[in-house]
Amino acid sequence: MKPFFITLFLQILLAAQQVYAAGPLIEFPRASDGHPDFSGVWQTLSSAHWNIEPHVAAAAVLPALGAQFAVPPGMGVVAGGTIPYLPEAKAQRDRNFTARLLEDPEGKCYLGGVPRSTYMPYPFQIFQNINEIVMVYQFATGLRRINVGGTEEAPLDSWMGWSNARWDGDTLLVEVSGLNGLTWLDRAGNYASANARITESYTPLGPNHVLYEVTIIDATVFAQPWKISMPLYRIVDADFRLLEFKCEQFAEEKLYGHLRKPEAQ
Amino acid sequence: MKHTQPTYLVSLLAALIVLTVPLHVCAQEQRKTAWGEPDLAGAYTEFTIAPLERPEELGTKEYFTPAEAEIFQLQRLEEVNQDDETEPGTQADVHYDFGTYALSANEGITSPNLRTSIIIIPNNGRIPPLVPAAITRRDARGDARLGHEFDGPENRSLTERCIVWPSTLPPILPGGYNSNLQIFQSPGYVIIQGEMGDPRIIPTDGRIVTDSLPQWIGNSTGRWEGATLVIETTGFNDNTAWRNATANMHVTEWLTRLDDDTVEYRFRVEDPQTWAEPWEGVYPLTNLNGLLFEYACTEGNYGMANILSGERAVEQQAEKQ
Amino acid sequence: MRSTKLGLLLFFTLMVLMTVHVQAHHAFSTEFDSSHPVSFKGTVTKVELINPHSWIHIVVVDASGASVTWMIEGGSPNALVRRGVTKASIPVGSELSVTGYQARDGSNKAVGRDIAFADGRTLFFEGSRAPGASVTSP
Repeated sequence: MKPFFITLFLQILLAAQQVYAAGPLIEFPRASDGHPDFSGVWQTLSSAHWNIEPHVAAAAVLPALGAQFAVPPGMGVVAGGTIPYLPEAKAQRDRNFTARLLEDPEGKCYLGGVPRSTYMPYPFQIFQNINEIVMVYQFATGLRRINVGGTEEAPLDSWMGWSNARWDGDTLLVEVSGLNGLTWLDRAGNYASANARITESYTPLGPNHVLYEVTIIDATVFAQPWKISMPLYRIVDADFRLLEFKCEQFAEEKLYGHLRKPEAQ
Repeated sequence: MKHTQPTYLVSLLAALIVLTVPLHVCAQEQRKTAWGEPDLAGAYTEFTIAPLERPEELGTKEYFTPAEAEIFQLQRLEEVNQDDETEPGTQADVHYDFGTYALSANEGITSPNLRTSIIIIPNNGRIPPLVPAAITRRDARGDARLGHEFDGPENRSLTERCIVWPSTLPPILPGGYNSNLQIFQSPGYVIIQGEMGDPRIIPTDGRIVTDSLPQWIGNSTGRWEGATLVIETTGFNDNTAWRNATANMHVTEWLTRLDDDTVEYRFRVEDPQTWAEPWEGVYPLTNLNGLLFEYACTEGNYGMANILSGERAVEQQAEKQ
Repeated sequence: MRSTKLGLLLFFTLMVLMTVHVQAHHAFSTEFDSSHPVSFKGTVTKVELINPHSWIHIVVVDASGASVTWMIEGGSPNALVRRGVTKASIPVGSELSVTGYQARDGSNKAVGRDIAFADGRTLFFEGSRAPGASVTSP
């Protein structure tokens, strides 16, 4: 009996150290059921949040913001480079781009939805247990519950969608439906509708990297399914914690400023 | 001498049985996660029959008798689930019907609770008095807002602004509809998410927070003590002001699974700059048997725009007169 | 003993007299005007079962024969979801009858004091009460 408990204790200590260690890992951790354990804090490194298509540098949406908030270049994360919009949908995307200062949901502190939340330039944390995986995104504290082995359909549409997942070897496949179509895919006005069905895949690339790929199917917006792909990078900073980015108050002037009481004459 | 030996043995045996029975019961009810921690996971309602504060007439009476509790429970459930009969044309009538949306306080769920109040310390079951500094702060806030309640969004409450719903802050107290929460566990973490708010991410290795960055929902750290999760929360910001508290409020919570349907929630609140003494309470979290739906508040907040434009319309009408 | 019984009686009386309601969390009295009641039948064009309040969009044909779109405010949908309500529960094209109060700013918005299908069916559930809104023990 005693050696068993000692072993168990040591195993828990070891597992705990692997999860909480300040610093990169030498092996991708495994959960108690043998699957890769994606638990941890992750972030992407690209300018996909500006524009998921390849793009050169461009001026800030407000010239007064100067170089500081200009749009950096990006090699793009869309497989094949261009999103296969239907003609009318492409025109809508272009209208979104023109109106982005007022219309981008991100500026209103609206949740980023899926997949945009993943590649916003802010960290997110994955919590994995056998039946359920929770992802918490720093921006506006977005949260997704992912049902491992789930098959039910979404009862109602939501901003962060309804996620059912299954394992395919070491890859976690997540089917996302029930998205409300009100989010954008980036700051350039790329978008999908509420008809979108999204499949994410998470595959370990190395001890501290995950290959994140997303297939988007929406026949009302796109001529064919298309895919984005990018690595997730593990945050290895010591004592890192996901601080609040509750942006509601920062969006109030934008949303309600025009309804303020006029200054007394 | 000879006859006392069996008596001694019987007494010893009796003592052992008495001592081990509660442990035995606890062991039976102690569900574990796949990695061996006590399992608190589930979706729960915070609704309980006991009110937050004990009515003054009951003094230090901590429990109802079963007969008293039965009467009390019926009346309390009737009052929280009553049809809202209101007079047409009155302010009270300007509201949607709660029944249409199944929005009762308890959604049909109730669990046994013989207590006369959630608060158990101080022994009158009531929140201790505010200290003078807290009264000054509270009154100053009220005075600053007087006459400016509808000037702009920042003058509205934190709930109307979709910033934070107080019942999702520690200490978690039931209040109104959707008074529910979900507990999720993974190795090293517990997440408590109130249905009307942001998730609280609680590491369970008892770590000390090394930065001093205040958060709306405070900074929580947890540790296991046997079957109980103990959570300490500090580091609130100045604006949270939960029941007039300061950023120095310190909350301790204890969560213990009692059975398949119940988790006991006990809390302690300390803020010497707000209350004359610390106060504690306890109540059961009961299985909700349902899922929590997304509370994307600011995304659907037509209400803020309508409130402000409504007041602008009232002002314009007043100017015309 | 006697004072405790008296205390309890007083307490129970107070509980009955108090109208402890699930409180609205925002200023409905500023949003909507109690002196501007509305009552109409309309056809559903959009259903937003969202937080913090749901909104149902209906097209109403007014006295002049013109079609006017109204937004009708309701409650949080969370309890509905737990009782099996889905986005299919109020199909686009359904006829609803609504009584309520118009927005103070004069826009075509109203809080739906009472809302049901025009043929008399309750909006989400059979019968007059939502399941789960009655006294039950576990």
